Formats: sequence, C-alpha cells, structure tokens
Amino acid sequence: MNDNLLENLSLIQEKTKYYSDVVVRPFALGDSGKAGAIIFVNGLADRELIDQHILKALMSIHVDQASITKNYIKNQVLSVSQLTEASSIDEFIPKVLLGSTALVIDGFSEALVIGTAKVKSRNIEEPISEALVRGPRAGFNETLSDNTALLRRHGENASLAFMSIQVGERAKKDLIIAYIMDIADPDLVEEVRRRVLKIDIDNVMESGYVEQLIEDNYLSPFPQVQSTERPDRVIAALMEGRVAILLDGTPFALIAPVTFSMLLQSPEDYYERWMAGTLLRLLRFFAALISLLTPAMYVSFISFHPGLIPTKLAISIVGARVGVPFTSLVEALIMEVAIEILREAGLRLPKPIGPAMGIVGGLIIGEAAVQAGIVSPILVIVVAITAISSFAIPQYSAGISLRMLRFVPMFCAAAFGMYGVILFFLMLCAHVVKLKSFGVPYASPAVPYRLSDWKDFFFRMPMFMMKQRPEMLHTKNQKRKRN
Amino acid sequence: MINNNTDQITTAQAAVIVSNFLLGTGVLTLPRVAAEAAGTPDVWLSVLIGGMIAIAAGIIMAVLSKSHPGLTVFQYNKSLLGKWIGGLISAAFIIYFFMLAGYQVRALTEVTSLFLLEGTPSWAIIIAFMWVSLYLMTGGLNPIARLFEIILPLTIVIYLFVMFMGFSIFELDNLRPVLGQGFMPVLAGVKPTALSFIGVEIILILTAFMKQPAKSVKAVVYGTAITVILYLITVIMVIGALSVDGVLTRTWPTLDLVRSFELPGLIFERFESLLLVIWIMQIYSSYTISYYAASLGLSQLLNINLTSCLFALLPVVYIISNIPKNLDVLFAFGDLLGNTAIYLVGCIPFALLLLTKWKKGSRG
Amino acid sequence: MKITFNRTKYLLIGLCTCSLLIQTGCWSKDEIEELSIYVGVALDQAKETKLEAKLGKLAVNANDRKLLSVTLQIVNKQSEEKGGNSAGDPATKAYLNVSETGDSIIDMIRQLSTRMERPAIGHHLKVIVINEQLARHKSMYQLLDFFLRDNDIRPNCVVMMSSGLAKHTLEAKGNSIVPAFRLMGMLENRYRTLKIMPRMTLYKLEKHMHAESSYMLQNVVAAEGEVKLSGAAVIKGKTQKFRGLLNEEELLGVILLSGEAEGGIIKCVNEKTNEMIAYELKAMNSEIYTSVDGDNVSFDVKMKSEGRIIEDWSENSGPIDDAYRAGVEQSVEREIMRLAKQGLDKIQKEYKADVVGFGTRLSIEQPKLWQKVKKNWDQAFSRIPITYSVELTITETGTEKSQ
Repeated sequence: MNDNLLENLSLIQEKTKYYSDVVVRPFALGDSGKAGAIIFVNGLADRELIDQHILKALMSIHVDQASITKNYIKNQVLSVSQLTEASSIDEFIPKVLLGSTALVIDGFSEALVIGTAKVKSRNIEEPISEALVRGPRAGFNETLSDNTALLRRHGENASLAFMSIQVGERAKKDLIIAYIMDIADPDLVEEVRRRVLKIDIDNVMESGYVEQLIEDNYLSPFPQVQSTERPDRVIAALMEGRVAILLDGTPFALIAPVTFSMLLQSPEDYYERWMAGTLLRLLRFFAALISLLTPAMYVSFISFHPGLIPTKLAISIVGARVGVPFTSLVEALIMEVAIEILREAGLRLPKPIGPAMGIVGGLIIGEAAVQAGIVSPILVIVVAITAISSFAIPQYSAGISLRMLRFVPMFCAAAFGMYGVILFFLMLCAHVVKLKSFGVPYASPAVPYRLSDWKDFFFRMPMFMMKQRPEMLHTKNQKRKRN
Repeated sequence: MINNNTDQITTAQAAVIVSNFLLGTGVLTLPRVAAEAAGTPDVWLSVLIGGMIAIAAGIIMAVLSKSHPGLTVFQYNKSLLGKWIGGLISAAFIIYFFMLAGYQVRALTEVTSLFLLEGTPSWAIIIAFMWVSLYLMTGGLNPIARLFEIILPLTIVIYLFVMFMGFSIFELDNLRPVLGQGFMPVLAGVKPTALSFIGVEIILILTAFMKQPAKSVKAVVYGTAITVILYLITVIMVIGALSVDGVLTRTWPTLDLVRSFELPGLIFERFESLLLVIWIMQIYSSYTISYYAASLGLSQLLNINLTSCLFALLPVVYIISNIPKNLDVLFAFGDLLGNTAIYLVGCIPFALLLLTKWKKGSRG
Repeated sequence: MKITFNRTKYLLIGLCTCSLLIQTGCWSKDEIEELSIYVGVALDQAKETKLEAKLGKLAVNANDRKLLSVTLQIVNKQSEEKGGNSAGDPATKAYLNVSETGDSIIDMIRQLSTRMERPAIGHHLKVIVINEQLARHKSMYQLLDFFLRDNDIRPNCVVMMSSGLAKHTLEAKGNSIVPAFRLMGMLENRYRTLKIMPRMTLYKLEKHMHAESSYMLQNVVAAEGEVKLSGAAVIKGKTQKFRGLLNEEELLGVILLSGEAEGGIIKCVNEKTNEMIAYELKAMNSEIYTSVDGDNVSFDVKMKSEGRIIEDWSENSGPIDDAYRAGVEQSVEREIMRLAKQGLDKIQKEYKADVVGFGTRLSIEQPKLWQKVKKNWDQAFSRIPITYSVELTITETGTEKSQ
C-alpha cells in the first residue's frame, strides 16, 4: 500500500473483483481538500455506525490539510471503540469480509480498520430441545458473546475463566473453554485444551463437530460429551468441576467429562424437592431399562421361553398371536422400525401437523395392523411402552443411543433367547465400564464405588446432604459449602 | 513390570472380585452336594464351617501376598522356591485356573441348554459366552473389577428377592432336628462344600493389584463373608422348602426351589428367569476371573504378552469344557477340582508363608 | 501396546458380527403359538377311546403295550380369546382333551405330535389327576417319574387322585371353563372349608417318595362335567401305591389332627338344645407331644382352636351367656374328638399309614430313636398309642347376641 489514494483504490477494486457485496465509498474529508474512502461489506457492517460516527465525522472536519494526521483521525474524529491499523490491503480485506470497515485516506500508507461488525443475534429464548416445567427459561443463542455473557451474568465472576481458541483451518471460529479456576481439575482443563487444539479440520460447523473430534471412543454408541442449550445446566456442571466448551454460531454448549448417570438426569431433579427428584430419577432409570430391553424380552419369551411367563399371560399371548404370519423378531422389527419412521416424520413436519400425524400413525396404523392380523396386540403394547420410555430420557442424544441400541438385543434374543439378552447386557456393561470420558470412568459413580457420589446418582439426596462436589472429578475444592 | 500403576483396584473391588469368583456353580448345586454328604438338615452348619475355613485359608493367602507387595503368586513363587520348583507350582496354579474356567463354562452350558435353550448346540452357547468375556478381559483388571461391581449388587438384590419369595413354601420342620445325629454328619458335609468355596485363592493374584495391599485381609474376609451369607441363605431356603429327602434327587436344587412356587398376580409369577439371569452373570464373572488369572499366570511365567495369552488360550478352555461326557463326569470333575483346591489353596500358601517368614527372619 | 489393543478390538467386533450372522440359525426357536400348552394331565387305566380305536385300526404298526391311558388337557386358544371378549359362553370349548393309550407317558405325549399340528409343551402343567385303580397297581415312582424328571414341568404342579375315571375330572359342561384351572381354583378354597387338604405338589411328593413316607392326595370325583373335591386317597410309604380312601369326615378328622386347617365349618348337635349348631373355625393349630419310655413311644395331640358360632338352630331365643357358650364349646369339642377318632382309626388301624406327620415329630424330638424305627415306621405307627384332646374357644357369636 502506498500513500496514493487512487492507486490504492484501484488496487482494492482489483482485489475485490469477485466480492460483489464489497462497497467502496469515496468521500472528501470536510473542507480540508483531502479525500478518503471506506470499504465495507454490505449487510455485515453496521450502516448506522458508519453513517453516524465515521462518514459524518470525517466529512465535517474543519481543519487544514496539514493537521490531518493519523493520530488526529484516530483520537479526535472517529468516535468508535474498536480501531486497528493495517499496512497492506491483504491484511484488512479478510477483516472487512467479517464486517469491519476499512478507512483509507489519501496520503496515509496505512488503513484504519474500524470494528463495525454487527451480528444479528437471536433473542434469548426458551430452549426447545430441553424444555422444563420449572427452571430458567433462558437458552443459549448462536452468538458466542451472548452466551458467555449469560454465563458471566450468573455471578461466579472472579474465577470463571474463558479460554479462547480458534478452530477450523479455513473458516476460523471462536471457541471458548469455560471452567471455574479454583474448582476444575487443572489436568482436566489441560486435557480438554489439548484435544481442542488437536482439532484439524477446515470448518467447524457446529459443536457436534467438536464433540466428535474430541471424544474418547468413536465406536461407542454412547455420547461421551454432553451437549446442552441450557445455561443453568452448564453453570451447574461448572460448579461440579466440569469443563464447558462453547462455540460461536451454535446454541449447543458441550460439557465434559460426562458419565452415564448424567444422561439420565435433568436440572429439574434439583429444582424440585428431593423426594420428587429422586422418584423421577428412578423412573428414568427404569424407563431406560425398559426402552432398551422390552422388545428383546418380548422376542425371547415368545420365541424361546414359553415356560417363563405366567400361564394366563402365555395363553392370552397365544390367543393374540394366532394368525400372525411372522416370527416374533420380524413382527417386532416391523413395528419398531415403523415407530422410528413415525417419530422421524413427526419431527420434520411443521408444528401444527406433527402431533396429528403422530396420532394418525400411532393409533390408526397400530390398530389396522392388529385388525389385519399382521402383528399381535401385545406387540403393539410393547412397542408403545418402549417408545414412550425412550422419550422419557431427558437427553436427546442419550435417547438416540438407547433407541439405536435396542435393536441389538432383539437380534441377540432372536438367536439365543434370554441367554442372548443376558450376554448383550454383559457386553453392554463391559463396554460401559471400559469407556472413559476425559479420564473419568463412564460408569461412575456407580463403579468404582464412591459412596459419597451416590448421594446424587439413583437418588437425589436433600440439598443439605450434598455437601461435596463429585469425587470422581478430582476437584481442587471439594466442599460446596462454607463450612 | 506388568502391574503398572494405572491398573490398580480398590479394596472394595478386591472384595467384590473374591465374592463374585466364589459365587458360581455352587449356588445351584450346593444344597444337594452338602445334603448328600451330611444326610441331615444340619448342612447349613457345614456351610458355615466350610465358610469359616475358607475365610481362614483366605487370610493365610492374603497375609502371604501382602508380604510380597506388587507381585503375584506366579512371580514371588520364583524368588521363594527358585525357578524350577516355583515355576512348577505356578504351572499347577495356572492349570488349576484353566480347569476351573472350563468347568464353569461347562456348567453354564448344561444349565442353559436344560432350562433356556434346549436344542442349541453347546459350541454356540460357549463361543458367544467366551467372546463376551474376552471383550471385557482385553480391558485389563480394572474394567473387570468395575463390571463385577455392577454384577454383585444386582445379584445380591435379585437373589435375596427370589429367595424371599421362596418363603411361601418354607417349612421350618424340614430344617429340624438341629444336630439330631450329633456333629459327625455336619463334619462330613464340610468337605463337599469345599468346591463351593474354591475361589478364595484369587487373592493371591489380586493383592498385587491393590492400591492398598495392606488391606487384602479385609478384602478377602469381606468378600468371602458375603458369599458365605448368600450360601447360607441358599441352603436354609432350599432345604427348608424341599427338605433333605427332596433335595437329594434333584440335580439343580436351587433352581427347583424357585420353580416350586408361583406367585400369581405379580408380573413375573415365575422367578426362575430372574435366578437364571443372575446365575449366568455370576458364572460369567467366575469364568472371567479364573480365565484372566490363568492367562496372567501364563504370561508372567513365560514372559509373553497378556493379550496374546488371552486369545491363544480360548481353544484350550473350549476343549477342557468339552471333556466331561455327561453331568456325572462334570460333577466328578468339579469334585476333583475341589480336592485339588484343598492342596493348592490350603497347603501350598501356608508353606509359602512359612518360607517367607523364615527367609525374612534369617535376613533380619 | 496401543496398536495391539485397537487391533484386538477390530478383530473382536468382526468375529462377534460373524458369529452373530452365523447364529441366526436360532436352533431353539419355537414360537409360542406354534405350541400346544397343556395344563392338565389325567392318568387312567388303559382304555382306548373310540377315536383311538379307529385310528389304531387304520394305522400301521401300532403295537404298543396298553398299560395306561393319558389324557392331556390343552388350552384352546381360539376360544380362550373369544371367552375373554364376551361375557357369554363361547361357541367352542376353551379346552381340548386328547387321549392316548400306551406304556410310556412321554412316548404317548410325543405320540400326540403325530395327531396334532402343534407339539405339546408342559411348562404350564398345573394338575395331574391319577385314577385310583391305576395307582393301586402302579407305584408313584413309576407314574410320576416322567413328571419329576422333565425339565419343562415345574415342581409345583399339583397331584390329585380320582376314584372315578380321571379324565372325567378334566371335562366341563360350560364352554368357558378350563377344567384344570377350575380344579386349581377349588384348591384355593381351603380357607372356607375343612374338607380340602393342602395341595400336594410334585416337590412335596418327591420328598415323600424318597423318604418312603405315607401321605394323602386330594380325591376328586366327577359327574356330568361337574367335579367335587371329596375325601382323600392314602398312599402307603413303602410301596408308594394307593392304599385306600378317606371319606370326607375322616379327612376332616385327619386335617384337624395335623392342625393344617385354615378355616371352615364344624357342625354338630348342641347337646343342650338338641339342635344343629355350626362352629366356624377361624384359627387352629395342633401340637404333637412325644413321650418315650424305653422303646415305647406314645403321642399326645393337643388341638387348639378359636372360632365363632355362625349358625344356631335352637328356637328358645335366650341370651348367650358363659354357660351356654361352654355348652357349645363342649359339643363342638366332642364332635372334633369324634372326627379325630374316626380319622385316626382309619389311618392307624386300617391303612397303617402315618399321613399326619407323627413320624416327622418323632424325628425332630427323638432323632436317635427315629433312626431305628424309620425303616418300618408305618408298621410301628399302627401300634403306638395316641391320645388327643381339644381346647376350643368361642371368641364371638357373630352379629347376634342370642341363641
């Protein structure tokens, strides 16, 4: 870049040939006789700011040419907070493309880059994927600064650390690792940072990318990082000594490490009184078990062990299944796949149609299938219970895991009956105990036994009893209370 | 060298492993085995005494292992007895553990094919089982311990529940008279219960992996005590419901107890499915740990990679499990194992302990 | 190390998948509706049904020895389903009885597979009824061996005896009744009447058979599709064969002696008013006391019962005072003594079979002596003097305070 404006401008025009949204606006600096130009991207830069604080200020200068120096412009003319200098065109063009405005003035060999980026951010709304009856209605949005502000606003200011890292080779995105300095295990923070730094990909679209790139075992059906759009959930996790990862452009924050029991917990467990919280939690464990094993148990009892069910039930099942042309496995597969399709279809449909479609699909197809003798009514009950149970799991990603997994024991049951189901269960347990999330055993706090962590596991003990942070996270500061 | 720091287990985990190893085939056959030998309803006393002996043996072994921290029996054998004799004893232990693994698998096959999968070839049952177990074992002792920690509470809760249901057919008269024919039948019943308590010897290996080896005595006592209590409950309930005469002719008396009552109206009504579930899990744990112990021993004896040991020995165990021609041979095989255990577990560790003390004494 | 571990994992997953794929053979698979669930079995002396005879004539190579007839009661699912939906009687019967005659029970059951599309499974067998004539000639060891040995049949299956044709007890007039379930339901009524004995299941039989002790089986009689529990059959310990019947009163006496009564009515004539009076027994127990003098054993049975007056036919409606109460107690006690004597005489003197459990008592109290007499206990039992007494308390008189 030289100090000749016209040369610079032609150079700039040459460089931005393919960017039709770049605007170059030449103007005169008041009555001083000097000329300048601003370069910005239409739509990304804040027009209001440019008009009011840049153009207006510059065009109304009333000093002579000699006194217009760079410092004069920076310090006395431009009333904007973010201002840097760039010595070459190649240096400022990328910034302009992100929303900044470049100011070139005749006679200056440097351009001033003014931060005028204006991101249109969504309002803070209630998170759709994690609705609660009781609890804050705030959810993250797509703007990183809004999200960090939500965490900051929560109060734990002095020790809440945000570590900023840019990820993505081409599209650089801001990513923030949040933790509480005097609680989180430094080794854990370091491990998270190390894994985030190792991310080597040209573009990080969503935090799901990050999740998949930093998880321990890509072959596992279980999510090893928790994703949430609830700030209260993140805060609670941070207070326990976990680490959160926020990414610009997505409302989903990641929490690590995660354990299996966390997937079945909901913030509401803590907001409601402890008895209700405990019962709900037990209910969810039960639901998880049902959604995983019921179809498999159906297959194994029907096809292998008529002697293990009550006589009356056996007789009514026989009565119900007379005329069904398929084996129990095929029958169950048909209905399970059908209900998955229904769920998927209902999800994508516009909101007013969704529920109607669910009813039509669930009731009418089920009823018709029974009437037509394709499936037995008992199976319809089994499938319905399974589906409802899988929706009772508060974490969407955990729900998917279980729904996916439940097909495996069905095949095991078809091969080995209940023996197959037991082997599947053992295999699953073996997998879970081998799995680790950021160094924390996935099955904790169940195993290895950590009695103090059990207060917040199957049961949610009364608040006054939960004085300790989870032991499994090796926090710096164990106590939750003053005393 | 093998016992790297990451693969350490807690005291509770050691106790759980001992417990899980003990609870195996014995749960289903103990009442008959004991009743056959004693012939009186006092077999529960035999079990109690047998348990005490097992705990005593466990303590000896724990003390022995404690004095060689970080080393398994296969390793300190060598330093105590020299390369050849030590190696021989290690080999005996290894073979013993292998036989035990084979026995467990075979018992599993028998029960499964009788009550769950009539007609399925045994190789299919065994192979699926061995693969699931191998998957766990490749993770090392820590995941094994963690899985056992899941299995044991499940077992205890479900088992107690099922046994409690059996109260509906329990008759106290079946357990009387107490000591009607003196103490001799009780003593006669002690030895056959030995097979049910083999497994304490695992502490010889576990101690090397414990975070606090000093607490190995505690681990073995607690672990064995849990099993003794469960066995006691089993024997009392089974004899109490089916009586000594009714038990003698049944192959799997505990299963028969559970099959002997129905509680209509409860979802299950029939509880043998629950019992079979936890029993298969128990066999799984017993098999896993004995197989792991054997492989570990072999790898330490011959200085080869543990993982390759785990894979290479699968066919061996499979063949062992196929040797017994019928159930009687299988049970005889079990008795043989029990008798071997008495020497291996009772005598050798005691001798080793004396040797250790003597060596330490002479050194100091 | 890391690399080998990963390789292990791949190998493992691959092999697991392969083995799963191979194993989709599903060897033991047998869909439940492809099976016939039999819930009742009747064992009779060999007598071919007309159908069997016809089939036998047409069939080639039907030369089994004809030792006994087996009737299986199979739940007929079609009608069971309809029966559940509508209140009225469905068009077809809820069950299906099939008979076979031959020599081996399992062979006969399997033989049915040549006559029916769905093989029969015994997981849900509830009741076995044995004809008494059959049991007179064949021992329980022989008749029940299959049922005890089979791994499908549960040991809680109930065994009964029928003085008529056993297969008639598995027939019902109405279409919605499954006779085997009806029999089971009737056994549940023990808290209402004293004439039903505790259910004798296979696992209890096993114990008696092995200990060679005598026991009773509930007797059931059938006529025109209706059944009635009536009396009990005595099985001798040594032979495990049918010895004789106890009629309803004798059974009542034995049940009272053994203290196994749960509830029921004892009616007698009130000695004061000479009118019928009914005592409802609400709680009862009996203790057997053993006394040994050298080699002479004697038993003393103390029966205790509490209950209420539930029906009184006396006409002079005075208030119930202590004297009246005592009178009633005495009358009922006398009746119980009479019943006990009747029952005891029959089992001790005529059948010489200890079905009450005196032997168990002796084995508990005098284990040494028991070892000596165990072998020939039934014989010894017939010579042992037994005394008994009743202590009865009337705790209430219902909602009436007068006679």
